[in-house]
Amino acid sequence: MKISYNWLKWYIPEIPEAEKLQDVFTYHLCEVEGIEKKGDDTVFDINILPNRAHDLLNHLGVARELASLLNIEFKDPMPMYKIPETKPTKLKIKIETDKCRRYMGRIVRNVKIGPSPDWVQKHLESIGQRSINNIVDATNIVMYDCGQPCHAFDLDKLASEMLIVRQAKEGEIMMTLDNKEIKLTASDMVITDEKNVLAIAGVKGGKLAEVDENTKNILIEVANFDPVSVRKTSKKINVLTDSSKRFENDLSPEIASYAMREISGLLFEYGNFDFEEIVDIYPNKQKLKKLSFSIDKISKILGVIISEKEVVDILKRYNFEYKNKNGGFEIDVPFMRLDLEIEEDMAEEVGRILGYDKVKPKIPKIDFKPKINDTYAKISWARNELLNDGYSEVMTYTFCNKGEVEVLASASDKKFLRTNLSDGLKESLKLNQLNAPLLETDEIKIFEIGTVFLKDKEEINICYADKKEIKEMSLEEFCKNVSPDTFAQVLGSPVQDSKNERAQPDHSQKHTASAFKMWSIFPFIARDIAVWVSEEIKSEDVEKVIKNSMGELVIRGPKLFDQFKKDGKISYAFRLVFQSYDRTLTDTEINEIMTKITNKIKEKNGWQVR
Amino acid sequence: MIEKIKKGTENPLLMLANEAYSVFSSLSFEIATGPELESEWYNFDVLNVSKDHPARDMQDTFFIKDQKEKVLRTHTTNVSARAIEKAGKEGRLPCAFISIGKVFRNEATDSTHEMQFFQIDGTMVGEDISLADLKGVLTHFYKKMLGDDVEMEFRPSFFPFVEPGLEVWLKFRNRWLEVMGAGMLHPNVLKNVGLDPKKVQGFAFGGGLDRIAMVKWNIPDVRLFYQGDLRLNQF
Repeated sequence: MKISYNWLKWYIPEIPEAEKLQDVFTYHLCEVEGIEKKGDDTVFDINILPNRAHDLLNHLGVARELASLLNIEFKDPMPMYKIPETKPTKLKIKIETDKCRRYMGRIVRNVKIGPSPDWVQKHLESIGQRSINNIVDATNIVMYDCGQPCHAFDLDKLASEMLIVRQAKEGEIMMTLDNKEIKLTASDMVITDEKNVLAIAGVKGGKLAEVDENTKNILIEVANFDPVSVRKTSKKINVLTDSSKRFENDLSPEIASYAMREISGLLFEYGNFDFEEIVDIYPNKQKLKKLSFSIDKISKILGVIISEKEVVDILKRYNFEYKNKNGGFEIDVPFMRLDLEIEEDMAEEVGRILGYDKVKPKIPKIDFKPKINDTYAKISWARNELLNDGYSEVMTYTFCNKGEVEVLASASDKKFLRTNLSDGLKESLKLNQLNAPLLETDEIKIFEIGTVFLKDKEEINICYADKKEIKEMSLEEFCKNVSPDTFAQVLGSPVQDSKNERAQPDHSQKHTASAFKMWSIFPFIARDIAVWVSEEIKSEDVEKVIKNSMGELVIRGPKLFDQFKKDGKISYAFRLVFQSYDRTLTDTEINEIMTKITNKIKEKNGWQVR
Repeated sequence: MIEKIKKGTENPLLMLANEAYSVFSSLSFEIATGPELESEWYNFDVLNVSKDHPARDMQDTFFIKDQKEKVLRTHTTNVSARAIEKAGKEGRLPCAFISIGKVFRNEATDSTHEMQFFQIDGTMVGEDISLADLKGVLTHFYKKMLGDDVEMEFRPSFFPFVEPGLEVWLKFRNRWLEVMGAGMLHPNVLKNVGLDPKKVQGFAFGGGLDRIAMVKWNIPDVRLFYQGDLRLNQF
C-alpha cells in the first residue's frame, strides 16, 4: 500500500526522517517494498500484514500506530471535521441480506461539482490516484485516510429515495462505471433502488447512478460488508478495487461513523451544501472484547524476560484500557484491532514493539531421542549405492501429460502426476547423451529417486538408466535384501561420507568450484584430431601445441581419448569441444581453427596429422 | 585392466538437503517424511488456515480431480504437523522434527518460480521452547550452510499457523534476503494435533531450499534443478 510521508506528518508532526522511518517499518511493523521521492514528499510502498489489514490500510491507522510505537504525539483530526446542520430526511434504507453489517446513508443537496481543493489533489496524486471531481475525490480521500470505503450516488438518477441492500438475482446485470457489463448471481451482494442494481456491494459502483458534472443532489454510502462475500464476488467477476481489498480484510463496522463524519466535514468545507440527517442501519453492534494475558507467558513465548514496566508502558502508548493484577493483565481491545484475540497475540505485540533483536539466540537442549526414519534411511542407502556404481543423480518433473491422478485448474498444460520415473528419465538420458561431449564422463548413467502417483496411492520409486537399459522399481523392492543395520550406518555421517568420496583426482577440478557456472544455450561442435609423432614424444607435448593454437572457443579438451604405437611411431588422438556463449558456431569457422592447428603441428619436424 | 568406477555426480539441491538433514540431526531433530498428495486437513485445517483463506483457492493450490479434500501439499508443514501429533500420542515430548521435501504451487513458472520446489520445515515442541531457541537453531543452521559470516534477523510477519509470526532474513554477501517464515506454533495448531497449549509450546519454521541453493552457488534459475540435465551437477 502506498503511504505519503507528508500525509502522515499531518497527524504525527514529530515523525522521524524518511530514511529512519524505513527501519521502523521493517523491524516493528511490516516490509517496505519501495520508497519513492515525489517532489517534496516521500512515498512508501509498505506491505501491511494480513492480520493488520483491518486497521492499517490507511494513513490514519499507520500514523496512530507510529505515534504509539515511537511514543510521539498523535493529533486527532476528529475535532477538525465540522458537524453540519441537518434537515430531516425521507431516505429509506432496507437491508435484506445478512452479509451487510451496517449501512449509513446521507443525502446532500445542492452540491456543486468542480475540482477538488489543492491539498486533496496533492494527497491523491502522491499515492498514485487520479483526481476526478470534488465529490468522488472526497470519497476516495476518506478511504485512504481512515480505511473506510465510501461511495456517492447521483440521487436524481435513483427511482426513488429508497436503497435496498440484497443478494442479486440470478442473471441480473450491472453496467460498471467503466462501461463493463457484469452478470451477477445470487451469491453477489448488490445495492439497488426499487428498479435497478446501482452498485456491487463493496466492489464497484454502477454507471446508472454515476456522479457527473451535472449532478445536483447526492446520496453518500458508508457501509460495512461481509469480507468473505466481497472477496468471492470480487474474485469471481475479476474486479479488484481498493474498496474490495479493504472489505475483504474485514473492517470494524465502528469505523463507519468516523468516516461519515469525515466525509460530511469535507463536503461542508466545500460550500453551502444542504445536509440531511444520517440514516444508520446497524443491526448487530460490534461487541467490546476483553483479552487477558500474563507477563510470565509472554516472557516464556519470546524467550526474553519482559518487565511489568515495559508492558504498562506499551499499553499506555497504545491507549489500551487495562487492569493489572500482579502481572496478570486484562485489556479492552480497541474496536479496530480485530487481530487481538488471544494471549499469543499480545506476545507478538510486545515482541514486535520492543523489537525481535531483543531475542537472544540460544541452542535448546531437549530430552528427546530421535529415531531413525525408515524411509529416509532407505533413500540414503539406495542413493549412495547408485552414486558409487557411477550413476549420477537427476530430478525430473512430477507433472506430465498422462497419468492416473489429474490436478485441477493447472496453470500448465501438464495436468497429470507421473505414474513412473522411467518416462522422465528417458528424456533426461536423451538430453545428456546429446551433451555427452560436454560432460566429464564417457558413458551416461543416471538415476532418480522420487514419488509416483497411482490411482489410490503414492509410492517412492527408484529408476536408473544407462545406454543399455532403464530399470524402475519401488524403494522397498530395491532395499528388500538389506539389513536395517546397513541403513543406520549410512546415516552415520552422510556429509562427511560424500566429501571423502569426492576427493578423487578426476573430480578435483570440479569440486573446488564454489560458484555455479551456467552453460551456454548454443549448440556445441566436437572435433577429433589424431597426430603421429615419434615414440619419445609425450602426449603432453602434443597437447601443448594444440592448446596454443586452438583459441577461446574450446570449452572442453584437448582430451586424449586414444593412443597406439606402430613402427617406432605413436598416435595420439584428442577431442576438442567448441561452444560459444553468445552465438551458434558455424562449421566453416571451426574448420578454419582445425586447419590452423593442423598447420602448427605440421611445422614440427616429423609430426603428422592423420 | 579393471577400471575404477567413477562416482556419479549429485544434484546440488539434494546434496544440500542431505547437508541440512545432517545439521539438524546434530541438534537432536528427528527426520520426518510424509505424503506429497495430502488431505486438506493436514495441509490446511490443522495449520489454522481457515476454509475461506485465499491460499486455498484453486489459483494457488493443486486440487485433485475426483478426489475430494485432497491437494498436492503446498508446504512440508503437513509433515511437521503429522510428526508432532504422533509424538504427542506416543508421549515423546519434548520433541523436534525436520522434514525436507517436494512441495507444489499452482503458478506460472519463471526463473524464480516453479510449480514444484523443495521446502525445509522444522518444529520443536516442549514446555518452554521459545523464540530464543528458534533463533539459536536457525542461526546455527544458516552458519553451517552458508558460512560463519552470514547474519540472521527476525522481522515481524504473519502466517496463520504461528503467533507471533516472523520472517527470517539473512545477510549473505552483503545482501539481505528473506529465507523463511517462522514463529511460535499457534495454540489452535497445538489443539488440532491433540496437544494442550496450556502445557506445551513450540516453534515452527519453513522455507524454500531452492533459494538457499541458488544463493549459495549463484544458480540463476530455479527450473534448472528439475530438468534432468547433468550439467547442473557441478559440485
